[in-house]
Amino acid sequence: MVELARKSCVLEVPATVGALGEIASFVLRLAGAAGLDKGAAYRLRLAVDELATNVVMHGYRGGGGRITVRGRSGPDGVQIVIEDTAPPFDPVEGRLPPAPGVPPEDRRIGGLGIHLALTSVDEFGYAHRDGRNISTLTVKAEGTDRCPPRP
Amino acid sequence: MPLSVSLSIEGDTTVIELTGELDAKTAPDFHRTIEKAAGHGTQTVEIRMAGVGYMASAGLRSLVFAQQKVANDVTIKVVGAIEPVSRTIRTAGLDRSIVLADE
Repeated sequence: MVELARKSCVLEVPATVGALGEIASFVLRLAGAAGLDKGAAYRLRLAVDELATNVVMHGYRGGGGRITVRGRSGPDGVQIVIEDTAPPFDPVEGRLPPAPGVPPEDRRIGGLGIHLALTSVDEFGYAHRDGRNISTLTVKAEGTDRCPPRP
Repeated sequence: MPLSVSLSIEGDTTVIELTGELDAKTAPDFHRTIEKAAGHGTQTVEIRMAGVGYMASAGLRSLVFAQQKVANDVTIKVVGAIEPVSRTIRTAGLDRSIVLADE
């Protein structure tokens, strides 16, 4: 179990591409507070960015809404919780691993973003509660790289 | 977070140089430049990415778009990408059709 601060920091932003930079800064601050190395901080940022982008582009379908990002950091790592009120969407179900046999022009890059997110973190959980999608991502300070280069 | 994009021709190569961060917000700028580059009819499109500190899947989408826009015999080369960026390209399997070069 990752040791984390009891109190979480909260960021609430409109679900727009313009807010993605703010989410990234929030995540990088927590990564810095936890002392994550550059690689781990990058993976955490990528994962949160991909999931938040997915909520903006597909979750609310441009109809507007809000995204709440909660974060806790500790000596062992960072945990980020992303919440939205878009229709239920479990990222694990929507994941699309790369299909090497499929020509690049026929690939769905959207599902690939989620694949990138899920392979970038050490732990991932999803729940749908009280009309909210709740994704929980953890990157450990001493975590293993879950997204190694392919041979 | 801003992205600067420049486009130039060097012999038979169209060069796109990117600096900054490539995500869902900034990728449309890259997209527009690719459209212009595809119209130049050079043999190689070289995308210099040494100045890109971050790339999300929106950047991958632009690279796929570049492949669709150029003729089959045109080489697309990504040059100087930092390790996490080139890893993202490999994770998507795009290294099978795009040349990844250190410099």
